[in-house]
Amino acid sequence: MNEIKLIIADDHDLFRNGIAELLKKHGEIKIVESVADGFEFLKVIKEGVEADIVLLDLTMPKMDGFEVLKELKNFEAKIKPIVISMHSAGNYIAKCAKMGAYGYLLKNTDESELILAIRTVHRGKKYFSAEISEKMINFMSTQSVSDDVLSKKETEVLGLISKGFTTKEIAAKLFVSTRTIETHRNNILKKLEVKNTAELIKKATEINLI
Amino acid sequence: MNIKTLILLIINSLIVLVIALLSFLFYKQFSNVLNDRILMQLNSIETLESIQIENLIKTKWKSFASSKVYSENIDSTTFKLPDSIKEIDGIHDFTPYHKHKKATIGFVLNTRAGRKIRFIDYSDIQNILLERTGMGESGETYLVGEDFRMRSESRFFPDKKPYEIFVKTQGVISALKGVNGRGILVDYRGIPVYSVYSLIQISNLKLVILSEIDVSEVTKPLEELKIRLAKLTFVIFLVAVTLSLFLTRIIINPIKNMRNSLRVMAKGNYDQTIEYKRSSNEIKEMFDALSNLKASLQGAVKFSEAIGNMDLNTNYKPNSAHDVLGKSLLTMRNKLIDFKNQEDNTRTMAKRLLVDGLENERRRLARELHDGVGPYLTSLKHYIENNVENESKKTEMKKIVDETISEVRSMSNALMPASIDDFGIGVTLTNYIENLNRSISISIEYEDLTKQENSNITDHQAINLFRISQELLNNSLKHSKAKNIRITLSEFDEFISLFYFDDGIGFDISTVRLGSGITNIKERVDICNGKITINSLPGNTTFEIELPVDYE
Repeated sequence: MNEIKLIIADDHDLFRNGIAELLKKHGEIKIVESVADGFEFLKVIKEGVEADIVLLDLTMPKMDGFEVLKELKNFEAKIKPIVISMHSAGNYIAKCAKMGAYGYLLKNTDESELILAIRTVHRGKKYFSAEISEKMINFMSTQSVSDDVLSKKETEVLGLISKGFTTKEIAAKLFVSTRTIETHRNNILKKLEVKNTAELIKKATEINLI
Repeated sequence: MNIKTLILLIINSLIVLVIALLSFLFYKQFSNVLNDRILMQLNSIETLESIQIENLIKTKWKSFASSKVYSENIDSTTFKLPDSIKEIDGIHDFTPYHKHKKATIGFVLNTRAGRKIRFIDYSDIQNILLERTGMGESGETYLVGEDFRMRSESRFFPDKKPYEIFVKTQGVISALKGVNGRGILVDYRGIPVYSVYSLIQISNLKLVILSEIDVSEVTKPLEELKIRLAKLTFVIFLVAVTLSLFLTRIIINPIKNMRNSLRVMAKGNYDQTIEYKRSSNEIKEMFDALSNLKASLQGAVKFSEAIGNMDLNTNYKPNSAHDVLGKSLLTMRNKLIDFKNQEDNTRTMAKRLLVDGLENERRRLARELHDGVGPYLTSLKHYIENNVENESKKTEMKKIVDETISEVRSMSNALMPASIDDFGIGVTLTNYIENLNRSISISIEYEDLTKQENSNITDHQAINLFRISQELLNNSLKHSKAKNIRITLSEFDEFISLFYFDDGIGFDISTVRLGSGITNIKERVDICNGKITINSLPGNTTFEIELPVDYE
């Protein structure tokens, strides 16, 4: 079996030692470096230390995990980062995944899962457990990122306007304040470059928004 | 001296002066006219009688001269005529030669035929003189001879022989000198009289005729007139006093009224009702002006009361460009507004600092738990993994540590989610509500419409929005019995809107306990310079919170 060269980047000595102790039992995994922050880690990488995987903590002094991920992406470095963090929220996971992390583990992950993750990533695959994946997907599903001219909300408001609802009625339907609807409406008018509701409906029909 | 006395004094002295002057002039004029009339009348009587006497004597002389009777029938017992006189022809006054000095006029004519001497019947003359028509009680006409002795009967001394009455008065003296005249003189009795005098000179006869009337009699009506005038003056004076009293009442009473009103106002009481009797336009206007003054003062008082109660939205319109009081009050209000704003700002700042301090402390504590305690627990888990031989114990211990880690994580999240600093409020609320949804049965829907990139929500606003949402959710879960909760957080270029809805039982905004989270929510909105609108009906409770975007 191939040897897996590993770097641990975490600001807690105890944690690094704990991991090292844990991995000792698995002969093929060799810890080549143990650093306390992102800055130190990047220095080690730039010095040409070869490693396959980095177990990267997010919250670190000097330079945190996110910045390290960003740097690694810029370098197009070969080292594959597995984020190991206390943060269990979906947004952290999604962000890390987006920034090029190969895996995301919680710090209290069991030994078996940790080994599985390391091995999976070493084979060139990404590892996100079912629980982590669910969190990430839940989070991403709430994000209303839209490439269209109008945002999802604005499209919804436009639809209600075209059906003849008043601002007040729309506000009640969408659970927002009337001023919010007014602002949405004004933003829609601005984006579609029209001056009033009549023109808005005409333009929206023309470009098949409704 | 008060106005009443002054007016009374001036008006009445003026009236008295005018009446006195008029009376005096009237009296003077009247008395002059009377003098003239009396003297004229006396003159005509005197002239008439003088002519009558002259005519009488002349007629007698003519008949005497033409008489052929030559005699000297002289009663020698009564007359002693000196011869020298007998030789002088003409009319003579023979009184001095009468034994009893009886007034006698006689004629002497010496012709070739002989000497004629005759006496006139003096009673004829006396009769003429006794004609006293129009001469009143004291008027008389009398004759005086060259020797200043009277030649006719005196009205006042009928028993005295005329010759014995000596009349050397101014009139007689003047007349004898040939100067006829008239005037008020002193007569033989030493009494002032109106006197007209002239000389009758026929041949050798030289008599002064005087017509006189007592001044006292003539002026008797004048005295009456005087008394009447005095009475009239007095009556007019009384009327004038009464009228001026009435007039002063008309003028003074409103003035007194006004003085009293002004006194009351000077003491600071502007609530009295000003009463007045409609007596004249000017006074009405004066009272209207007073009422206006009162009204404007009341306005100023009300305004300052309002200011005093810190009711600073009260407005006040100065009465004119010169309304110094109103202007100063306005200045005062503006100063107070500034002061209050400053105070409010200071208070908001203080609150903000307090809340910021609290939040920083929470953040520190949350980080400590998350990044300090958390890793130690992880290490503990690793230690167990590496050193515990007994598999069942190992599993048990790992489970406990995992639960502890999970607990620490949720404590840290409740204190201050790390995500708020790393990802902002939108995402943090997403996580928070997702976690909440997992542990409760009711449905919470959250819509995050904040900007994913380049959000303008500040950390300060983010924390407060998070706390507000926590508080609102807490309230709904604890009290409202709601089945559905909807939260929308929208970010626009100008403002941030947090809309919160639940279909719970609602509450009465005015009576809701201040201990509940609403006060906290309001305070947090306040320190973010935001606005909050709360509507609550059973089944439909909404909170609209709006914060301004702070481009700092």
